[in-house]
Amino acid sequence: MIRIITRRLAEVVVFLLLITFVSFLFARMAPGDPVLSILRVDDLSVSAEQVEQLREDMGFNEPLLVQYGEWLVDFARLDFGNSYISNQPVMEMLWNGVPATLELTLGGLFVMVLIALPLGSLAALYRGSWIDQVSRGLSLLGAAVPSFWLGLILIDLLGVRLGWLPTMGRDGLHSAVLPSITLGLAISSVYVRLLRSSLIDSLNQENIRAARARGISEPRIFFSHVLRASLPPVITVFGVSLGSLIGGVVVIEVIFAYPGIGKMVVDAIRGRDYPMIQGYIFVMAILVFVINSIVDLSYRYLNPELRLKGKGRV
Amino acid sequence: MTLLSVQNLTVQVGDAPLVKDVSFEIQKGEWLAIIGQSGSGKSVTASAIGRLLAPNLKAQGKALYNGKDILQFGAKEMRRLRGTSISYIFQDYQGSFTPFHTIGRHFEEFLKAHFKLSKTQRREMAEQALVSVGLQPEMYTRYPFQLSGGQLQRSSIALALLTKPDLVIADEPTAALDSISAFKVLRLLADLQQETGCAMLFITHDLRHVRKHADQIIVMKEGAVVEKGDKQSVLDQPQHAYTRSLMTASPSLSAASQLLKGDDTSCVYCN
Amino acid sequence: MTSRLTINRTRATKVFLSAFLILIAAIAVYAFLILKHDPSFVDLNERLLPMSWQHPFGTDHLGRDMLTRILLGFQLTVGYGFLALLLAVAIGVPIGVIAGFKGGLVDRLLMRVADAFLAFPDTVVAIVLSGLLGAGIENLLLAIILVKWVNYARLARSTVVTERQKDYITMAKINGLSEWRIMWKHLFPHLIGHILVLASLDLGKIILLISSLSYIGLGAQPPAPEWGVMLNEARPYFQTVPALMIYPGLAIVTVVLFSNLFGDYLRDKFDVKKEVAE
Repeated sequence: MIRIITRRLAEVVVFLLLITFVSFLFARMAPGDPVLSILRVDDLSVSAEQVEQLREDMGFNEPLLVQYGEWLVDFARLDFGNSYISNQPVMEMLWNGVPATLELTLGGLFVMVLIALPLGSLAALYRGSWIDQVSRGLSLLGAAVPSFWLGLILIDLLGVRLGWLPTMGRDGLHSAVLPSITLGLAISSVYVRLLRSSLIDSLNQENIRAARARGISEPRIFFSHVLRASLPPVITVFGVSLGSLIGGVVVIEVIFAYPGIGKMVVDAIRGRDYPMIQGYIFVMAILVFVINSIVDLSYRYLNPELRLKGKGRV
Repeated sequence: MTLLSVQNLTVQVGDAPLVKDVSFEIQKGEWLAIIGQSGSGKSVTASAIGRLLAPNLKAQGKALYNGKDILQFGAKEMRRLRGTSISYIFQDYQGSFTPFHTIGRHFEEFLKAHFKLSKTQRREMAEQALVSVGLQPEMYTRYPFQLSGGQLQRSSIALALLTKPDLVIADEPTAALDSISAFKVLRLLADLQQETGCAMLFITHDLRHVRKHADQIIVMKEGAVVEKGDKQSVLDQPQHAYTRSLMTASPSLSAASQLLKGDDTSCVYCN
Repeated sequence: MTSRLTINRTRATKVFLSAFLILIAAIAVYAFLILKHDPSFVDLNERLLPMSWQHPFGTDHLGRDMLTRILLGFQLTVGYGFLALLLAVAIGVPIGVIAGFKGGLVDRLLMRVADAFLAFPDTVVAIVLSGLLGAGIENLLLAIILVKWVNYARLARSTVVTERQKDYITMAKINGLSEWRIMWKHLFPHLIGHILVLASLDLGKIILLISSLSYIGLGAQPPAPEWGVMLNEARPYFQTVPALMIYPGLAIVTVVLFSNLFGDYLRDKFDVKKEVAE
């Protein structure tokens, strides 16, 4: 198991180095002078000498490789420099934004489970009934509705017109509700269908009939045998669709002006704030690595055969 | 009183009948063998008794267990019977267990579902049951994938006979085992049946099982019963052409030796 | 178990989907023929008008005809999505086939490259790439292609590998047919089926991605009549003229829904299990 994690880690590090070098190159060679971007923020009228001075100070005049070298050293120290926009240390800003993003992500996942579990289960248990049809229709519709559109509609309906929930910023638990609902609704469609088909497969297995033959109650069979057996494909899809989840979080953060790292990176992109972008890439790499590792671990937990490969037959 | 009386059992999927108007009786402690090829409806009949049919199958008729028609039982009553009074042993030993539960957990779950016992008592009962079928008590903590086919089938038997049921329905329990394990498992089953005095509804396509252990025999073909009677009469004087062809297809050693001696009074080959 | 009801439903689906497909294609290609208004013609006297014969969908905040813009949005949102998809397939499939055919070192190398691309979630790469290269639709499409090709490569590769091991290939080989020829005749139908299924399902996702990122300013830019951009522009007017937000949104929902239904239908038709497609 340790081997898997180490190999994962190595892959991520290699990829990180590659991506950061590429992004570094782009940052230096992209249209738009970074120095001017920095100065632009302060809204000063600057002389040519001042621009040159700043360029010198920030080391933009040195050869590319030297710049990269220095940057790598900083990178090793997790010092991504200061944001071009706010002139604050990037790492600090990102660190402050992580809790908000986590709130939304977990909230969204919670809502997703709240929707997908009952709908998927009922659709599987009462296959072919009206519940099944309705859940299929809902999930088809849900998969086609853009999350940002949904978010805007919810903001208008529940936030503005009815005034039930806050629609902007982060002001205590209340403000996480609308964004979480939007996110949860957006991602749940896939899982409703997936859970349904996975459950149907599990329900048809022999061990379910055997359990019934022993007089075990249906609810117990469902939760203890069927549901657990249906998890692996769901987890697989979850691992694979991580991109949509993260992307979804970013869009939701922007719409609801929620101060998470998603919103930060979008602002950074618009303002060509390269240190921030690089910092974001780094944080994402770590996050993805952690989540993938959790996914792997959960497979091992769910499947004792993977866990106990050494022990073999008695 | 007759333990189980199946009357006019019919099982259909849509409009197509899988089991047609099947009737038979099992007495207490009797070993009834149902013989037939694949597709003859014997497994469906067995499943129908315990109400374990797939949802798209519809059963009609009666199955009187101790006089009461269990086909009309509610879910709760049926559950109480299952595993305690009427037990099953399936051919697919791997499929009889949930892969991510230990063997012990299967016992736990079963005992918890039917009785009020302490944890220690449950464990004791489980381990005793395992020993009684010739397994080590350590199997309790093992997962199904760690056991061999024979061991798994023994565990199934242990579970099935744990509460000394009145009726054990065994659906080709040895068909998927290698010949040595099959022999041992069959012998175990026969011994336990003698010990506990339970009735056995034994489904098979192998005549050897029937010859050795059965009291009564039913022959099924294409969903219907074509021959019914006690072992000796069915084996020695098969009435139906199909039964006769089954006998021909599986000659016994004794018949063969008689043939060699030139004595053809019990010629199994002759029509 | 095909009852009469089922058969009719299948035919109805077929007819409906084909009709819709033709309609969309027609609109996308011939939109300019049915347009009566110039989509970028700004007339502030005519802004925010409700539905009328002149303007069946009304006008937006700059006086531009909504219907025209929505129809053109087809070309942009759907067209871009299609383009990105096409390129991703064109890149991914050959690579996957080569990897599956050659096997050995080439296979491992190509798959390692693919895995590297997969190490990152697709939306993040899209966001970051468009961030690094600057906001703009070309960069967004590039990002999408870079991320999506991997799925097609893997699909192609696994199809090749699976089919190669099947008995009929061995039989043909024994009979002296060249492997290449066999694969071409037998492999192609399988491959096309799987790819079509995956592509239809992907199209919806890509369209959503394009419109989402355009909405937050990372994709198409105003004044392009791309649906995501239009939604962004309509945001301040949501309270007063909700129609501005409803039409583009509905357009997206309709196209994605159709694309998903089509993909489902194809999947049932080819009897492809979802695991293979993913």
